Amino acid sequence: MDTGPALVSILRQGSYLIASIHTALDDSQMIRFQEDLIEQIGQRRSRGVIIDVAALDVLDSFGSKTLRNIGEMARLRGATTVIVGIQPDVAFAMVSLGMGTGSLYTALDLEEGLEYLDRNVRKDPGAVGTTSSSLS
Amino acid sequence: MVQRFVHSRVANEAVADDIVQETLVRMLVAVERVEPGILEPYAIVTARNLVASMWREQERHRRNQHRIVDLRGPDSPDESLLEQEDRGAVAEALGRLSERDRRTLVAHEVSGQDTQSLAEELGVTAGAVAAQLNRSRARLRVEYLLALEPGGSVTDRCRPVLFAMSSGDRRRQREVDAARHLLECALCEKLSQPLLARGQRSDDQVRIRIHADADIVLARQSAREVAARLEFPRTDLTVIATAVSEIARNIVRFTEGGEVVVELLEEPRRGVRIVARDTGPGIPDVEAALVDGYSTYHGLGLGLPGARRLMDEFAVVSEVGRGTTVTMTKWRQEG
Repeated sequence: MDTGPALVSILRQGSYLIASIHTALDDSQMIRFQEDLIEQIGQRRSRGVIIDVAALDVLDSFGSKTLRNIGEMARLRGATTVIVGIQPDVAFAMVSLGMGTGSLYTALDLEEGLEYLDRNVRKDPGAVGTTSSSLS
Repeated sequence: MVQRFVHSRVANEAVADDIVQETLVRMLVAVERVEPGILEPYAIVTARNLVASMWREQERHRRNQHRIVDLRGPDSPDESLLEQEDRGAVAEALGRLSERDRRTLVAHEVSGQDTQSLAEELGVTAGAVAAQLNRSRARLRVEYLLALEPGGSVTDRCRPVLFAMSSGDRRRQREVDAARHLLECALCEKLSQPLLARGQRSDDQVRIRIHADADIVLARQSAREVAARLEFPRTDLTVIATAVSEIARNIVRFTEGGEVVVELLEEPRRGVRIVARDTGPGIPDVEAALVDGYSTYHGLGLGLPGARRLMDEFAVVSEVGRGTTVTMTKWRQEG
């Protein structure tokens, strides 16, 4: 794992983290990726996370579940996660497999993902909790 | 007889006489170990080995002439011991063939009699002789390997399985459930290696051992590569790879290990078949395991039912305490 080309890269872009998976990951590599990313959200005080999975050949039940967990954990740490780059055939296989991925935000590519974050990430932490009253 | 055999193969009179002498010496040494009935084939095999090793020696000399100095020392004592052991194994293996098989094999391989004249002697067709020779060779390989493993515990299942592996007959291998036996029997696992290595490795079948996380990725990538030869659409390739990923993960999670075999099918239609076997605890209730959300660890419980949805055909056979076999097929949609 420590030798050879990096399997993933996690770059900071302002208050966002952009994580790219460069190659197929096995389960333990996926878990390590999850841990690294969640830790960096705290270190870098990130508000948004983009995970680029365009290089993944397969998103099976474990891979999807890990992405969901990352999204959920990131949310608990105050960051919004967007998955970008799911290939059409991978999407087809995920649906056929019967995976529920509803809780994940997705965007077509990196550009769309950044746009989504710009629109949805709270710029001002002081605003938390002040807008929910309109629901009632 | 030995003399005639050797002279028919070696042109140089003096060299041939040397080999005959050497054969006789070795026969005298071996005579106590060899059953009387097979002395004759034993002598022939011995002589043939000597001729062959002489040819090898000449070949080596020819190749190494440019080196001026022969770097290779004289045969070490244990090397000749190994050779003796080898000959003993051949003799023992020959002794285990039926009389008819042995005589035909020796007549063809050693005396050089062709299948046509053998067929006339035996009153059958040349094709039948060739088939018989193939069976005999396959059996000889098995018996030879078994003879070299005197300590091995051979069960009733071993010989049929090894024979099926040796003859490279896939249908027979399925009939005797060879793959499962190889997972369970360490001896056959080991002996089948040289048997598999000699067969022409067909590239329409790939076998991946599954033990650790990384093997899951390897298995699904291999499945994709093999299926790609049938020009499956990209979506189907991903679907197949995803299904393989799910069942390979089950092997890693729940069992000591297993294998995934990916095989291309031509009949009844073109397609790819994936067989995943393990020697794990087995699934007590297969029906329940095929329902979404059935999970014995903190997963989604999508493994088996998900893979079933992805593939066209799907079957699970499981025996508690013995292991599970998942067989699934994806057909190539034509046109």
